[in-house]
Amino acid sequence: MRRLLAISFLVALVVLAVGVIGTVSAQGPGDDLVLFTQYPSQVVERGKTISFKLNLRTQENAQTVRLEMKDIPEGWTATFRGGGNVIKAVYVQPDEDARVDLRLEPPADVESGTYRFVVAARGENSRVELPLELTMEEKLPARLSLSTELPTLKGSPTTTFRYSVKLANEGDEPLDVALLADAPAPFLVTFKLSGKEVTSLPLEANESKNLSVEIKSLASNLAANAYPITIRAQGGDTEASLQLTAEVTGQPDLAVTAPNGRLSGEAIAGKESPLQVIIRNTGTAPAYNVELNATEPSGWSVEFDPKVIAEVPVGEEVEVTAKIRPAEKAIAGDYMVTIRANPAEGGSESADFRITVRTSTLWGVVGIALIAVAVAVVAAAVLRFGRR
Amino acid sequence: MAAQAKQDAIPRAREGSPWTGLWAVVLKEMADHLTSTRMRILEILILLTAVGAVYAAMLNIRSTIGRDPFLFLKLFTTSREPLPAFVGFLVFLVPLIAIALGFDAINGEFSRRTMSRLLAQPIYRDALLMGKFLAGFFTLALVFTAIWLLIIGMGIIGLGLPPGGEEVARLLIFLVATIFYGGFWLALAMLFSVRFRQAATAALASLATWLFFTVFWSMLVGLIAQTLRPVRIGLPQEIIAQTELQIALSRLSPNTLYTEILLALLNPALRSMGLVLPIQWEGAILGSPLPLSQSVLLIWPQLTGLIAVTILLFALAYVLFQRQEIRA
Repeated sequence: MRRLLAISFLVALVVLAVGVIGTVSAQGPGDDLVLFTQYPSQVVERGKTISFKLNLRTQENAQTVRLEMKDIPEGWTATFRGGGNVIKAVYVQPDEDARVDLRLEPPADVESGTYRFVVAARGENSRVELPLELTMEEKLPARLSLSTELPTLKGSPTTTFRYSVKLANEGDEPLDVALLADAPAPFLVTFKLSGKEVTSLPLEANESKNLSVEIKSLASNLAANAYPITIRAQGGDTEASLQLTAEVTGQPDLAVTAPNGRLSGEAIAGKESPLQVIIRNTGTAPAYNVELNATEPSGWSVEFDPKVIAEVPVGEEVEVTAKIRPAEKAIAGDYMVTIRANPAEGGSESADFRITVRTSTLWGVVGIALIAVAVAVVAAAVLRFGRR
Repeated sequence: MAAQAKQDAIPRAREGSPWTGLWAVVLKEMADHLTSTRMRILEILILLTAVGAVYAAMLNIRSTIGRDPFLFLKLFTTSREPLPAFVGFLVFLVPLIAIALGFDAINGEFSRRTMSRLLAQPIYRDALLMGKFLAGFFTLALVFTAIWLLIIGMGIIGLGLPPGGEEVARLLIFLVATIFYGGFWLALAMLFSVRFRQAATAALASLATWLFFTVFWSMLVGLIAQTLRPVRIGLPQEIIAQTELQIALSRLSPNTLYTEILLALLNPALRSMGLVLPIQWEGAILGSPLPLSQSVLLIWPQLTGLIAVTILLFALAYVLFQRQEIRA
């Protein structure tokens, strides 16, 4: 028993010794080949050819290593490349890594999923294997998106509608994006990026930018309506569009003028004389309860008939008579009278009328009478003192 | 006394027309006036002032004013140092000419002892006085119209454009006013020539009146206004009352009347002659020209007053002359 124990111990020792000798010998020629790559498992876009960078290393023995694919899924083609050519073997020196590109080409109808490959490197004495893993994924298509939180804005015909729009490139490729707009006739659309007007801009993959879209009507007499405006972003072969709505509310726009456009009139000092005034609505909504008043020199009176116009419909005009009475002692000449129309809603409008004041011709008659009296005096003198 | 009794006996109705022989007197007198050395001197004087003042005005207009709707009126009113404007000359030249024409109209006939010979002709006294006045008046009109045309002609040549219709109308009224202003002094000079037997006395009296109105009246008016309406506390009412009195008094002078007529006619932007309160200016568009009718209306009292005074002075001279005794 003791002997058996001794034998087994000896055997174990021998085995151990052999093992130690074996390990040492593994470090000898043929055993020191290493094949590795930095990223053995990669995720790539489906259908795309990929290259793995393989490194081969040896500790002591320079040797020629043959490369081959041990395991490859069906339909795939693998080529080793080095120095610009397809290679089958590589010469490995100690202390210097040999680099080889492994190029894996998927079949045309490759499906998504994980594919496994095993690369085998056969040196003079040893053989090493390197498993690789490649996950084919559906590639994200180039995609643009336009979005806004407030797609409908309301304003008057003269308002500039400012929409804050987010333009995002949701694809994996950078894009040059052109900005376009489909707007009905009187509208002008401008895109602004940080205050500057742009028509196209580059967008990196997964980048988004906040644009300011300004829509302005060139016509001030726009009918009240909701106007749809489509803005589009085009980049590569993708396109995004966003519908914006400019809701134009009507507003009355009054103009004060005269029947023949001549803003002048005549009046006699101290006497009431009529002046025709026209209130025209050039806006997009009727003006209600238009009140008329005037700024006249002191001592004058200006009255309107009617004082208040109930309604001035869109595009129409209402004639009003202003009764102007200059001051009794007004000096002849031109005076400024401002006539103002104040609608219940909307801005008031005014026009300056030039009133030429004439003075009464009563004194003219007195002057003539004076001369007549003088002539009569002469005639009387002739009759009284005339001598034969 | 005998004449008085005889006149009383005769009914008021007179025989024969006072116009008989009038035109003969007018034509003869005018011929005398226009050929007299006195008139030559005065004509040359006024011609020189007209040419000088208008030439200076033209230079000024060309360099400063440019396009003005009333360019021709500026011709009369623009002055250039050291010359005053033409109208400034007129204010004292017109009376001089008129006095020169009238101061020896009647007493000259007496001193030459031709009056009785003249009245021996079939000419009434009415016709003689009227004829002498009208002759002087027409001479004045002739001279002023000639100068007026001369100035406008110079303006057309010098400025290179014709006067507008309103300008011509204003200038015509200005001409009429100038002639009547002369008429006033002519009537006055004739009144004195009827009143005073010495021609020198009449001339001196006329010139004294002219000097009085030209120089002293404005001073006197200031004094009178200050005495009658003194400004004691300095209230606006007091100042207004004094100024109004001053304006009213100064208008008794024919010079003031004529000056105001000139101003209103030749400066269309002038709106008022009297005192204007700031409240009356409110809302007025300053500098805009008045239409002609309004300008005329503005000076209508002055113009008619001047004409009426001229006629009344003549009537006075007539009455004095008719009552005079004429002996050979």
